[in-house]
Order: sequence, then structure tokens, then C-alpha cells
Amino acid sequence: MFGSRQGLENSGAPLPDRADRIVSLAPNITEILFAIGLGDKITGVTLDSDYPPDAAEKPKVGTFWQPDIEAVVAARPDLVITLGFEQQKNLAERLRRIGYNSLTVNIEKVSDFFAAIEKIGIATGRQRQANELISRIRTKLRQLASIVGAGPKVRVLWVVQREPLRVAGRDTFVNEMIELAGGENAIGSTVHKYPPIGSEQVIACNANVIIESAMGREDIENQRDRALQHWSKFKFLPAVANRRVFVIPGDTVSRLGPRLYEGTETIARCLRPHLFEN
Amino acid sequence: MEQLLTPKKLTTKIGLALAVLAAVMFVCSLIGTETVSLKAVFTGPGTQAAPNPDFEIMGFRLSRIILAGLVGAALACAGVVFQVLLRNPLADPYILGISSGAGLGAIIAVISGFNWTLWGRSPIAVFAFAGALGTVWLVWFIGRLTGKFHVTGLLLAGVVVNAFFSALMMFLTSIAKSDQVYATIFWLMGNLTEGDFLVLWIGAGCVIGGIVALFYIGPQLNALSFGADDARSMGVNVARTRTIAFGIAAGITAVAVSLSGLIGFVGLVVPHGVRLVFGPDHRQLIPLSGITGAIFLVIADTVARIIVAPAQLPVGVVTAIVGGPFFLILLVKYSKKVSWLK
Repeated sequence: MFGSRQGLENSGAPLPDRADRIVSLAPNITEILFAIGLGDKITGVTLDSDYPPDAAEKPKVGTFWQPDIEAVVAARPDLVITLGFEQQKNLAERLRRIGYNSLTVNIEKVSDFFAAIEKIGIATGRQRQANELISRIRTKLRQLASIVGAGPKVRVLWVVQREPLRVAGRDTFVNEMIELAGGENAIGSTVHKYPPIGSEQVIACNANVIIESAMGREDIENQRDRALQHWSKFKFLPAVANRRVFVIPGDTVSRLGPRLYEGTETIARCLRPHLFEN
Repeated sequence: MEQLLTPKKLTTKIGLALAVLAAVMFVCSLIGTETVSLKAVFTGPGTQAAPNPDFEIMGFRLSRIILAGLVGAALACAGVVFQVLLRNPLADPYILGISSGAGLGAIIAVISGFNWTLWGRSPIAVFAFAGALGTVWLVWFIGRLTGKFHVTGLLLAGVVVNAFFSALMMFLTSIAKSDQVYATIFWLMGNLTEGDFLVLWIGAGCVIGGIVALFYIGPQLNALSFGADDARSMGVNVARTRTIAFGIAAGITAVAVSLSGLIGFVGLVVPHGVRLVFGPDHRQLIPLSGITGAIFLVIADTVARIIVAPAQLPVGVVTAIVGGPFFLILLVKYSKKVSWLK
């Protein structure tokens, strides 16, 4: 079915746009659609789709967790793109049964993310743009890797929430971003994806850097001051002793989307600020 | 029939129980994911230039063990009181809506995204405390309207307020962002996080003071367990005893909840366990339940700390998994001893 399209691309002819009315059920899918030039074809997004700013102007079809099937149908989509977790998979299945085109992509890890861009590109007839986006992000990440170099890894404690304290575990895309930025997770493998940990582990993990993602709209500097104060009780931890506690804007690191590079660079700047001075 | 409970016997029992508690706390303080040398701990905090990590780790561990002990004691004693006041073996400290009130407070705090701290406690703890006390007061107030301490009225008011606040909680959860939902869920599952020592001492003062006060109204509670009319005929001021016992039990439960979230099972099972083994006399039931609750939660929390290291489990998971089978064994073994099971 896609064979003829492949042929068209190879011959260099412009691709016909197959999908004209797309509904996206996740903020990172919306970002991917905008990044491959399909922004004006989107007819519905979830409430939390706020980037790029144009996305926030699109009609809403419910929340990420509870998409509203009536609103989705009312957006008259010829393609609905969902994520792979239970609620969204069910919705995609129901839509398929009543005759709508739906595409389910899994975006759990960085490799899934690249695969998802490719899948979306194929389904929307934008393979070329999708491939360009993929190679653009990959090139930047490679450049970052060469800046960071292959020196000793910086141990990072990635704090998801303070009370009760939970951090990012090894089986997360944040973990991959930390590694791409030249660090390593200070917490070893756990049964939880985002393990709750106790103070003893905080001391034992020996983190060089603590990173929290920013909450709400409050000024980041204020949040950082409070974070430094909060962590000051662990005076033995290298990250605290050297005041290397950071609060970074949440968006680019809490969703795995086309701003993957920006998020990773922000992390790299926290880990090795001296490499980025100038 | 049992022999009479003399002051000497009671003191011996409490002393022995306290010794066991101290031993358990000591052993648990040696258990953790990090190896700590006791010798190194006793060299003190070290200097600014060369701090002593063993001392610091032991500090965190001890404050957590003390917290577990306090919360366990508070919940177990409150459980005893609610069971006798409501004359219902299914009663636990959360039965009159404290859990949903605290949970509602917690989720409101999480959603509003406050950032201040009050004496080192986060808004979640403060709101949970307020929610817990507010709910108990509301239930008590409605219960009073149904008649002068009508037990059924009070229970029904508790159940309905519980359901109502749970619905509000679910509503807020459904509109909250996913990370906020997770924050609340993990808090609700019960978690023992070390706070400042100041908070710990204040909490300890409230809980121990409450338990001592409950101990002194033990004889009146004994009379009440026969029913209000019998108690009145024995010369007990029923209304006053109930108000005091209820207020103290609700107060220490609210303190426990604000320190540790909702830890289930301790307040239901420990009082029954102690009653099965030692009999239903409240003069010993209250202190022994408190101490046993402390021992139980210290052990459960030690398991929670180490079993999936470097992560940990919510302690509520461990209390139910460890406590359930243990309680069933007690139930089968001792059930002939206790009259309310007949």
C-alpha cells in the first residue's frame, strides 16, 4: 500500500497529502506533527497540547488520559494518532470499529520516538520531512556527544517529586537523556520506573548533580533557591556541597518530543557548565 | 477466668513490652541498604572539613524509625478507642472519615501547588492535618444531631461523609495532571519520610501525651465496653468520657496521618491482636497496643526500606501483607478467649 508512495518519493515528485484532518491525542504527537509541517492539518488536540503556541489554539478533544470520543468524531478526522497505553489504545480500537483511520504509536524510549516520527511520516505522506526531522535531531545529538566528550560520567539524581521522594529510574527516557548528556543515573536499577527512595539512598547514591523539573509558572530562580534549601540537609552529598542543584523548565524533559535535543542540551549544561561558556 | 490485673503486673507487662520495642528499634537501626559502623557513629558528626557519613546515615535512619514507632503507636491506640466507642470490631482510626478528609486535604494541597513550608512540614502535611480534624469534627457534629451519641448515627454519618469526600477526591484526581495524581497516590499509600527532629519531637509529645491520657481513662472505657447504660449505672460520666476519648483518638490519628500519609491495617489489626492475646482490659490494652503498634510499624517499615532497594515500597503495602496472615493465625489460636467473637 505504501509501495507506490515510496516510488513517488524516490522519483522526487511531491507527495500528495493523504491526511487532511488529523487529531492528535498527545502533546508530543502534536509537536511531531507541527515539526513535519502538518500544523495546519490538525483539527483536534488534547488539553495539554500547548507547544508550539499555535497548538494551544486548536479545538480540544479532552485530556490525555480521558480523550472524549464524541469530540474526536466531531473533529471529522481522517486520521487519529494515539499513544500506546491502555485508554488511548482502546479509543483507537473503538474508532477503527466505527470506520475511522487511527494510528497508534508507542513513545516510551528515544528509539520509539524516532520510530514514531517515521510511522507518522509514512501515514501522512510526509516521509521526507519526517526523515529530515530525525536526521536533524540525531545530528545535533551527535554534536552534543562530541562536545561532552567521553570523560567520566557525572552522577545525576533526577527528582520527580519531593514528597514522597521519587526519582527517575533506569528504565525511563529521562535516563536516556541523562546518558546522552554525558551523565549517568545515580540510582541503580529498580522494580519501579520512577522509584520512591529514602534519605539513606540519597546519601548512598553519591550524586554529583541533582535536577528537578520546574513546577508551575513560578520563576525558576526562586524555585532553585528553594530546592537548594530543601536539599541542604544532605550536606554530605557532592551535589549539595558544591551547590549543583538545578531546576530546569519541565516541558522539554517531561515529554519525549521534537525538542529532545533542547532538553538534552539543558541537562548537559547542568552537568558540565564550563563546556558551554561563551 | 483470668487473674486480677494488679498494678505490679501491669507495670511488668508494660516494662517488658517497652524493652522489646527498644530491642526492635535497635536491631532495625542496624538494618539498611548501607552498611553503617556503630563505632564510627559514636565518633560524632565529624568536622565541617571531614564530616562523618555514618553519623549522618544513622541520623536519618533513627529519625525514620522513631517516626514509624510514633505513627504505629498512635494508630493502634486510636484503633482501640474507636472499637470500644463504636462498639464495633470493624472500627479503625479511619472509620469516621479521617482518611478521606486527609486525602482531600492532600490533593487540594498538591493541585494548588503551594510551595511554602510550615515548621518544615510541606503543605500536603498541613492540609491533610486540617482535613482530617475538620472531617472528624463534621462527623461528630452530625452524629450529635442524630441524638446524644447515637452510635449508629455517628457511624452512618462517618460512612456518608467518607463517601462524599472520596467522591470529591476522585473528582479532583480526574481533573489533575498526571504527575499531581501520582504525587497524591503515593502520599495516600502511606510513606514514612524523615522530617526535622523538631517536628518529630512535637509529634512525639502529642502522641505520647494522648496515649497517657487514654491510659488514665482506661477504667471508664472498660465500663463503656458493656454499653452506655451499664456504664452509667457504674457511675461513669458517659458523655464526658466519650468526648474526651473521641477527641484524643481523633487528634492523635490526625497527627499520625499528617506525619505519614494513610497507613492502613495497623489501627485495625494491632488492637485485635493484643486483645486476643492479653484480653480486653483497657488499662493494659491501651499501653500494650501502643507499644505493639510501634513495634509492628518499625518492623514493617524496615522491610519496606530494604526489600526492593535501592527503591522502597509504600509501608501500607507491607503492613497488610505481613499483618494479614499473622493476624489470622492469632485469630484462630486465641479466639475462644474473647467474648465479642461469639
